[in-house]
Amino acid sequence: MMIATWYAIVSFMLITYIALDGRNFGAGMLHWFVAKTPEERRQVIAAIGPLWSWHEVWLVAFGGTLLAIFPRLLASAFAGYYLALFLILWCFILRGISIEVGGHINDRLWQGFWDFVFVVSNFLLAILFGAAAGNVARGVPLDAQGNFSMAFFTDFKTCGYVGLLDWYTVSIAIFAMVILAAHGATYLTLKTDGAVNYRSSRLAKYLWMAVVPLFLLISIETFVVRPDLPGHAVYNPFWYLGLLLVAASIVTLISGLSTGRERRAFVGSKLMLVGLLVTGAAAIFPVMLYSTLAPENSLTAYNVAAGVNSFLFACIWWPLGFALTTLYFVFISRRYAGKVSVSRDSQGTY
Amino acid sequence: MDSNLYDPAFWSRLQFAFTIIYHYLFPQLTMGLAGFLVYWKWRALRTGDEKYNRAVRFWAKIFGLNFAVGVVTGIPMEFQFGTNWSEFSKYAGGVIGQTLAMEGMFAFFLESAFIGALIWGEKRLGPRYHLLAAIGVALGSWLSAFLILVTNGFMQHPVGYQIEANGTLGIASLSAYLLNPWALIQFAHNQMAALVTGAFVVTAVGAFYALRGIHSTQAGLYLRTGTFVGLVASLLVAFPTGDQQAKMVGRHQPVTLAAMEGKFTGGPMAGVAVIGQPNIGARRLENPIEVPGALSFLAYGTFQSYVRGLDEFPEDQWPDNIELLYYSFHLMITLGTLFIMLMMVANFQRWRGRLQSSTWLLWVLMLAFPFPYIANTLGWMTAELGRQPWLIYGLFHTRDGFSKVVSNGDTIFTLIGFTGLYFVLGLLFLYLTGREIAHGPDGEVVPGAGEEVIA
Repeated sequence: MMIATWYAIVSFMLITYIALDGRNFGAGMLHWFVAKTPEERRQVIAAIGPLWSWHEVWLVAFGGTLLAIFPRLLASAFAGYYLALFLILWCFILRGISIEVGGHINDRLWQGFWDFVFVVSNFLLAILFGAAAGNVARGVPLDAQGNFSMAFFTDFKTCGYVGLLDWYTVSIAIFAMVILAAHGATYLTLKTDGAVNYRSSRLAKYLWMAVVPLFLLISIETFVVRPDLPGHAVYNPFWYLGLLLVAASIVTLISGLSTGRERRAFVGSKLMLVGLLVTGAAAIFPVMLYSTLAPENSLTAYNVAAGVNSFLFACIWWPLGFALTTLYFVFISRRYAGKVSVSRDSQGTY
Repeated sequence: MDSNLYDPAFWSRLQFAFTIIYHYLFPQLTMGLAGFLVYWKWRALRTGDEKYNRAVRFWAKIFGLNFAVGVVTGIPMEFQFGTNWSEFSKYAGGVIGQTLAMEGMFAFFLESAFIGALIWGEKRLGPRYHLLAAIGVALGSWLSAFLILVTNGFMQHPVGYQIEANGTLGIASLSAYLLNPWALIQFAHNQMAALVTGAFVVTAVGAFYALRGIHSTQAGLYLRTGTFVGLVASLLVAFPTGDQQAKMVGRHQPVTLAAMEGKFTGGPMAGVAVIGQPNIGARRLENPIEVPGALSFLAYGTFQSYVRGLDEFPEDQWPDNIELLYYSFHLMITLGTLFIMLMMVANFQRWRGRLQSSTWLLWVLMLAFPFPYIANTLGWMTAELGRQPWLIYGLFHTRDGFSKVVSNGDTIFTLIGFTGLYFVLGLLFLYLTGREIAHGPDGEVVPGAGEEVIA
C-alpha cells in the first residue's frame, strides 16, 4: 500500500513536470514557425521566460524523490540510459542558456543564434523524452542483477538486446514531438496576441488533428510490443481515471479550439497530456522497468523500494514541501497570468 | 599513476570533480550576493534612499546571470549520482535521496518561484513584496546549501542511519541525520566562505568604478558594504567555523588531518607547516618551516596534545592523493589569512575616510576577487580528497561506488562534452557579466550638476 502510494506520488511529480515543461518544449519547437520578426520571437521567449527553471525543478525534485524511495530503480535506469541522459542534460543546459542570454543583447546575429539553439534543443528534448517514454513502455535489456547498458541503437527490433532507438521508440518519439508541439501551440495562443497568436491558433488545430492518427498508431504498436499490458491495466482503478481524463480532455479541447476559447483549449490540452501519462503509469504498475530479456528480471516498485523508514520519513517532509509548492504555484499563477508583454531596457530585452 | 587511466572510478571521479567545481563557482556568489540584496533592499525601504534600490537593480542582474548558470550546471550533479555512481546510489539512496529530494521541494521551488520577481518584478510588486522576493531567493539558496551539506556531512561522518535487511543503508533517525554536527559546522564554514566571495566581488566592482572615477555614489556604497561584510565574514570563516571544522576532522578523521598537514610521524607539539612539500615515497616533508605546537593546539586545544601521524594508520586508509590534499589545505589557509589582512587594511582606511582615495588599495581590492573563488574550491578539495578512500567515511569505498555498466568510453565521451560545453558557457558568462559591469548601475544624478551621467 505504502509502495503503491509512493509510486503514485513519484508518477505525479514526473507527470506534473511534463505537463509544465511540455509547453516549453512545444513553444520552443514552434518558435521559428509562429514568430517571424525579432519582436515576435521575444514574445515567445517571454511566454516561457521567468518560469522555465521553476518547471525544471519538478524534474529535479522527482529525481531526488525517486532516489530516496526507489534507489535501485534510479541507479539502474540512470546508469543504463547513460548517453541518452547526458544528451538530455546538455540540451537542458543549451535551452536554459538560450532563454536567459538571448535577450541580453539587442542584435540580430546574437538573437538569431540563440533562437537557433533554443529551437534545436527543444526539438531534441521532446524527441529524447518521447524515446525515453517508449523505452519504459517497451522495456530494456535488464539482466538477472537488474542492471543494463544500452547503445543508441542495435538492430531496431523490440526484443532481446534492444537499443535506445528502434521502430517502436522512434514512433513514440515522433508522437511526443507532435503532441508537445500541439500543446505548445495551444499555450502560445493563450499567452500571446497579434500575429503570434493567430499563427499559433492555426497551427494548434492542424497539430491536434495530426495527433489523432498518430495516437491510434502508437496504441496498436504498444499492443503489439507489450501484449501483456492491457491484461494488468484493467484491474487498476487509476487506469480508468486516466481514460476518464483523456475523454474529458477531448471534449474540453475540441470545444475550446472550435470556439476560440483559449483558456479552455489550454486546459483541455494539459488534461490530455496528464490523462495519457496517468493511463500509461497505471498500465505498467507495478513494473517500473520491464526486461526485454526475461520478464522475471523486471524491476518492480516492490523490489526496488528503499527501507520502510525512508518511506516513513518521506511521509513527514513531502506533504509539507508539497503544501509550500502549492502556495508558490498560486503566487506564480497570479503574477504571470494573462498575455505576456515584452519590456526592454538599454541592456536588452527581458 | 598510469594504471589510473584504466580505472572507471578515476574517470567518473574526474568528471564529478570537474562538473562540481565548475558548478560551485556560481552558487557561491549567488549565496553571498543574496545577503547583500536583502540588506540593501531593506535599507532602501527603511531610509527611502534611492541609491540602495539602484544597487539592488544592478546586482540583481549579475545575480540573475549567476543563478541561470548555477541552475543549468546544477542539474547534471544530481543526475550523476545515478549515471556514474549507481552502486553508491543503490547503497545509500534511501538516505541521501531524502535530502536531495528535500532540496528540490524546499529550496529550489522557493528560489525559482521568486527569482523572476526579484529581477524583473520591482515595478509590479512594490517595495515590500520586492524585499520579500529577495528574502525568498536568499532563503532558498541558503536552504539548498544546508541540505546539500547534510548530504555531504553524511558522507563525511555518517550518523542516523541503519543497515537494512538487503544490506543497503536506510534512515534510522531523520533528526540525527539532518542535525549531523559535521553538517552544521560545515554549513556555517561554507556559508561564511560564500559571503567572502560575495563581499570580494562587490568590493572589486566598487574599486573598479572608484578607480575609473565613475558611478561614485554606487562605488562608495559597494566599497563600504563590501569591505565591512568582507572583514566580518573572513574572520568568521577562520574562527570559529574553520577552527571547529579542523577539530571535527581531527576527532573523526584523524588520518585525514595527518595527511592534510603532511604529518608522517605522530607526536606531541605537532607543528603547522608554513612551507614544505610532502614526499610520499620518502615519507617526509621536504624543507619544512613549521610553527611548533600549532597543530596540537589548534586541533586538540593544548600544545602538548598528541597528533597522530600517517605511520599510525594502515596505508590503505590513507587519502589517495596526499600531495593535492596537503596543498589544497595549505593554500586555503594562506589565502584565508591574506583575506583577513587585506580586509583589515581596507576597514582601517574606511575608518579614516580614505577608502575611496587610496589608489593602491583600490587596485589590490579590484584584483583580489578571483582568490575567494580559489579558496572556496580548495576548501572543497580538502574536504573531498580528505574523505578518500571512502565515499561514505568508514562504510563504503569510493572504488565500490561507480556504475559498473558504464564503460570508460562513455565516461570519457561525456567528460569531453562537458569540457567543451562549459568552456563556451564560461566565455559567455564572462562576456555578459563584463558587459553588465561595464554598463554599470543606472545613471545617477551628480549633485549640483543636475544632469544624468551616462556611463
